Amino acid sequence: MKKKNRNRDDTPLIEVQSVSFSYDAKHTGRALNRVSFFVNRGERIAILGHNGSGKSTLVKIMGGLEAPIEGKCLINGTDIQTMNFRDLRGTIGMVFQDPENQIVAAMVEDDIAFAPENQGLPSNEIQARVDSSIERVNMIHKRDSAVYALSGGEKQRVALAGALAAKVECLILDEATAMLDPKGRIDVENALRELHSEGMTIIQVTHQIEADNFDDIQHVIVLSHGQVIWEGNTSEFWNDAVSLGFGIPDELKVQKYFAEHNIKFPDDLADIKPKILTHTQRDNLAEKFRIENLSFMYDDVNSYVLRNINAKIYSGEWLSVIGRTGSGKSTLVQHLNALYKVQEGKIYFNGSDIPQKGEEVHSLRQKVGLVFQHPEDQLFSPTVREELAFAPKNAGFKNHELDDAILYGLECVSLDKSFLERNPIALSGGERRLVAIASVLSAKPDCIVLDEPLAGLDASYQKKLLSMLSRLRDEGKTVITISHDLNMALNYSDRILMLRDGTVIQEGTPHEVLEGIMNTLEPEAWPDVLRLSSEVRRVNQNFPLLYNYEDFISLIL
Amino acid sequence: MNFANLTLGQYIPTDSFIHSLDPRAKFFSLMFIVSAVFPADNVPEIAIWTLILFVLVHASKISWPSLLRSAKPVMFLVIFTFVFNIIAGLFSDSFINALAHALFMSFRLFILMLFAVMLPLTTAPLELADGLDAMLYPLERFKFPVHECSMMIAMALRFIPLLMQETDKIIRAQLSRGARLDQGNIFKRAMAFMPVLIPLFVIIFRRADEIAIAMEARGYNGGEGRTRRKPLVWKFKDTCAVILSGVIAGVLVFII
Repeated sequence: MKKKNRNRDDTPLIEVQSVSFSYDAKHTGRALNRVSFFVNRGERIAILGHNGSGKSTLVKIMGGLEAPIEGKCLINGTDIQTMNFRDLRGTIGMVFQDPENQIVAAMVEDDIAFAPENQGLPSNEIQARVDSSIERVNMIHKRDSAVYALSGGEKQRVALAGALAAKVECLILDEATAMLDPKGRIDVENALRELHSEGMTIIQVTHQIEADNFDDIQHVIVLSHGQVIWEGNTSEFWNDAVSLGFGIPDELKVQKYFAEHNIKFPDDLADIKPKILTHTQRDNLAEKFRIENLSFMYDDVNSYVLRNINAKIYSGEWLSVIGRTGSGKSTLVQHLNALYKVQEGKIYFNGSDIPQKGEEVHSLRQKVGLVFQHPEDQLFSPTVREELAFAPKNAGFKNHELDDAILYGLECVSLDKSFLERNPIALSGGERRLVAIASVLSAKPDCIVLDEPLAGLDASYQKKLLSMLSRLRDEGKTVITISHDLNMALNYSDRILMLRDGTVIQEGTPHEVLEGIMNTLEPEAWPDVLRLSSEVRRVNQNFPLLYNYEDFISLIL
Repeated sequence: MNFANLTLGQYIPTDSFIHSLDPRAKFFSLMFIVSAVFPADNVPEIAIWTLILFVLVHASKISWPSLLRSAKPVMFLVIFTFVFNIIAGLFSDSFINALAHALFMSFRLFILMLFAVMLPLTTAPLELADGLDAMLYPLERFKFPVHECSMMIAMALRFIPLLMQETDKIIRAQLSRGARLDQGNIFKRAMAFMPVLIPLFVIIFRRADEIAIAMEARGYNGGEGRTRRKPLVWKFKDTCAVILSGVIAGVLVFII
């Protein structure tokens, strides 16, 4: 364990002193074990930990929402347990992962007013607090909006303003950007950056880090199995990140490489004559789906969600569907197993019209497995075995066929047989995700569609899933993923379909769609290497657009 | 099947006169209207109420499609009334008379439902809670948890649309796994819904837990000492609205 000599204020804003916590009455299994650290006023720190490391418990203790079984948490020198409820709530503001679960009112201003209302302030003071908080998160233009009409990023900024309205000195964010799309994340990050520059103390608790939100973080604490296993500043953290089980963003890898090789970016790359990179392409694959002029609108909304979609999906390829929230991605893929019926246009499945009703739909759903976002929320059986048996049973599998299918599903996600008799609820988050995916694969589909399969997972589980999907593709299955994760789309899939406002704007190999990505998404949302290579391009027109770190480095060598 | 669109009285913000009325005034007016529509037993009376409904909807700036959509979940009651009345009528009357009676009865209920759904459509959940809070305040003396109840109703209204979306998503996921939700007898169908109900309950409890924590983190500690950004203020127009609806209801019940 590393202890950096960081200055400690006489009375730090928050001081956690040897805190332990347990969820069982006998205090045997500890969620936190003698955790100690301090946070000075005005600092921005990150608490990192994988799923199950105890970080959410720590958040609740710092927020006074749980009491430690041992040790103390001091706020401005006072034990949080003896602190007056109102003082505490006026000091520490909290923002959680799911904006929907924090917003209590239907209208933006009403919601932001909730905390000052609870503080019993007079109405003009409440209004003043609402006005200033809404401005600090750049949401003035939406002050009269209904909450349901906002995007995820906007809702999360309302939640942020709702916490600020209590006039807090410190914000604790528990995975506050994890559920947002890149645009939403960038907007929230910008708001946080501004708040920090105004002197707000910010504690970000997360399992995943992005280079762009790490620039302003001054101190990092890593939690594992309920203990602080590492502490230090950001640059020290990047040195040890890999050994702590965290991935390093490509941008930092590149920066490090340049620093080591004394290359000035991008000027020194002006004269490089790039080698021609060859890409493996999959040819002569049979058509799995052919979509022709598909348009779709919901019964009650008079605008098209999908407009004149034309696309082909080949057997044995991995296709990524990308595009902003609301671009029609999930409506499109739900046509592929007839959850939505074709209204206008045509879809061919294996060369013939896609079935729309009756038993044929059931057999289609067996062949085209669909895994929704957060599929672990849909588990319902007392054992993993029964969960995996559901889909194949519905598809008519019996006796040894059924047993065989269950084992097949388990094998696909590389879980061993001991899991079969376990209760899905008792598994870890990552394991539950694998079981949920296995419960679709157990029907032995030839095509599997996954909506944001990596969302909310640790780096290790993400890796597991990515190699599993690549393996399924190599075995000849068609894999379709919907994702905001451009790194996954570009580096793992064979082809990419990019949607905007319900129309296809790009279809092709990762290299073919790079320009489209640059034209539609803001630079902050581009993959690091794409951003870097486009910068090199400004000084060297021969330089190709790239998305992969290894390719980038091999060009420079 | 699309549960995501079942909204059941989700607040629709507009800047109408109806929206600006005090929730208590709307509540009292609704009481008058309901108690007058319910005993209405002739066509002219219902025709006048239908006209009044049109005026109200127009004044609220809520579109008819969204009003009808909000009333969708309770439409089965209207259909049930219709079917029940036709069957009951056939025993004692000619088919034409039974049909006319059934149509009248179900249409009256339909109008009634639309009036009722106007309240949550034009009143934000927290405002509705404040209104209930203020009206039921006298019950506090009997140790009735007035604030808790009205807050509960407000939270339920706020989260119904979300839970509808969740239900829709779970149904789609289980259909994708080949679930047969619409086949077999009633018992079989009920059993077939277990894969939907169990995850839904898990989600509801988890959400409830997270919401409670988030509310506590924002200093919510029950109704005591809580103030309002926009305190309820009974204005002249509220008195007018209540008197007007009372007079109309009275005239229609006792004179026509």
